Amino acid sequence: MGAFQWLMKRITKIFGHSTNGLFYTLLYREILKEVNEITNNEEESLIILREIGKKAALESCERHSNIFKFMPGNPKKVLDYFEVLWVVVFGRELDEYNYEEIHKEGSKYNDYVLKISKCPICAGYGDNIEDTFEFNKLNDNKSEGLACGLCGMLESVANYILKIKRNDYRIQIIEQDCITKGGNCLQFICKIHDYNEWKELMASNIQQKKVLKKFFKESIEEEEIVQETKLDIFDKLQDFISIDKLDEYLNEPLETIKDKVRDFIKDKLNMDPEHFFDYFRNYEDDMIRIIGYLGTHLLNEYGGLLEKFLKNEWFAKIFGYIFKQLKEMTLLFIPLDVIRDYNELLVNFLKGLAPIEMVENVKKFTGKDTITYIFEGAQIALENLGIDFSELKENVWEELKAERENGLVSSETSTIDRTREKVPQIISIIQQFLMIINDILTLPIRVLISESHYGLKTAINSVISEEEGLYGSIRERFDNIFDQIQEIRK
Amino acid sequence: MNFSRKELIETDATMNQMRNAVYVLVRLMEKNKIQNSKERLRKMGQNIARTYINYWKPTEVVTLANLKDVITTIYQKILNSTVSIEINEVDKLLNVQDYRCALCKYHYDDLEIAGCEVLLGLVSEYVTLISNESSESSSVFLEPYEIVESRAYGNKKCLQVFKYKIRKEG
Repeated sequence: MGAFQWLMKRITKIFGHSTNGLFYTLLYREILKEVNEITNNEEESLIILREIGKKAALESCERHSNIFKFMPGNPKKVLDYFEVLWVVVFGRELDEYNYEEIHKEGSKYNDYVLKISKCPICAGYGDNIEDTFEFNKLNDNKSEGLACGLCGMLESVANYILKIKRNDYRIQIIEQDCITKGGNCLQFICKIHDYNEWKELMASNIQQKKVLKKFFKESIEEEEIVQETKLDIFDKLQDFISIDKLDEYLNEPLETIKDKVRDFIKDKLNMDPEHFFDYFRNYEDDMIRIIGYLGTHLLNEYGGLLEKFLKNEWFAKIFGYIFKQLKEMTLLFIPLDVIRDYNELLVNFLKGLAPIEMVENVKKFTGKDTITYIFEGAQIALENLGIDFSELKENVWEELKAERENGLVSSETSTIDRTREKVPQIISIIQQFLMIINDILTLPIRVLISESHYGLKTAINSVISEEEGLYGSIRERFDNIFDQIQEIRK
Repeated sequence: MNFSRKELIETDATMNQMRNAVYVLVRLMEKNKIQNSKERLRKMGQNIARTYINYWKPTEVVTLANLKDVITTIYQKILNSTVSIEINEVDKLLNVQDYRCALCKYHYDDLEIAGCEVLLGLVSEYVTLISNESSESSSVFLEPYEIVESRAYGNKKCLQVFKYKIRKEG
């Protein structure tokens, strides 16, 4: 699984409210039954259920639009990331599935058929007397199956991503085979249409439009693509940094990344890199602070997750303590050679991009200076994002003690118990973060050694395997952190 | 071989879209002049409980002594919610406060029905089904009473109220 898929799956699972899978499936069944109470027509009910799925997913997408800004904006890639779409919509892993690409003559994109061997929506349908929606009453063989609502959700999310990425293609997802209806698997066909084709397709579906108008009492039209003229810096950055390209970046050597930075500065800022960096000449310390500041804000721009995370008072405090500890411990425990490696990495990065005089000035910084400036910049950014450093105690243990003594936590037994239950998870999160920091500290020397020959990925992985290397180790630790956060959120 | 419903109990699913879907359904009901949409939502919850209980049962007996624990377990295992519960023995009411209701999160100006009406039906039916099967004379039976507060109404929490009665009291 690529880094992007892994990251998206973990993030969406953490920030969604999850319930038991059976409750989800039964609620879905009940919605269909209620729709059928209104329509008294099974075929019309499935059309309405699909529309309910579409509307429900669109509402979610609009509420969390920032997350989708960093999803891939190419229709084929959206389908490549179907597994992620499934997790976004359904909140659970896609168990076993396979793809088939069907060549479409004269079209830019082919059709895709997806076969999913296990469908949670169909699970056990017909085993209980409350399963009263009768699929045998369906006469139209073009009717979809039980997962049509889910299909509507998937289609809505896929098209929302394309819309927000200003792509003028749209994806149509149709349920072709349904286990409840007697099929062997859940089968979707995904067709990619250009926007005009899509509009024609929507207009030609008279039966569907009639049903939707009859019951929703409104005509349901896809809104026109409005090409936004005002692009913010992060819209521009998406062309350069996109989390779906994480794997690509990891495969590229430092020189290639420098080339990309050079091209980016030229294309987007219309400046020569040397001219750009010249602005910071004699203010190199501020430039390094800005790296810390912007780095932190850039992290937050991936869906505003950091800011959302820090809105929670507890998480903000935990993060604040980790940051404080990191700031103090870095200089105490990390060998100066390691810090020098980092400095050398920065100097190597600036060589060829920045004026020689500036590179010479940066060379004069000790490793300690560089680290201090980066932390100063990052701290300002974290204050902007919600950590009140002035309120933090000397260390996390005093914080835990104080919370219990000063009566901030409710005296109700269950609340105290719940708070206590969370302490092991909080400690575990702190531990995992500290281990990640240790892992990362070994990175620069690897990068320096491998930069001229191999990609960053070589530096990040061990000679044994990706799973056992630094990348695998960091990913495992983040998996643990995500698990602990999920536990706390329960 | 597809999943069984028993297997689904071991899994989690994200509710965001399904929660929204409940409100789209309520709008659909209103547009189609369904008068008793509150009761319809409760009925949905009751149907869910009738199926669910075939695959999982928190206990064999529900009495006033374990009522709070049973309700807490149902909310935790099915809905992933941690609730606080108060019993009002004078009016025979059970108040459940849920700060992270699975079916209510956002305030909808255009609706006057909370999604957690479904939960009122689900939880009351679950307890009633357990007590129906039990021969214990002090078994408790629950009925949906009302949603006093809901995040869907703009409140900070959902306050779901159930009416209870004890078998021996008739």
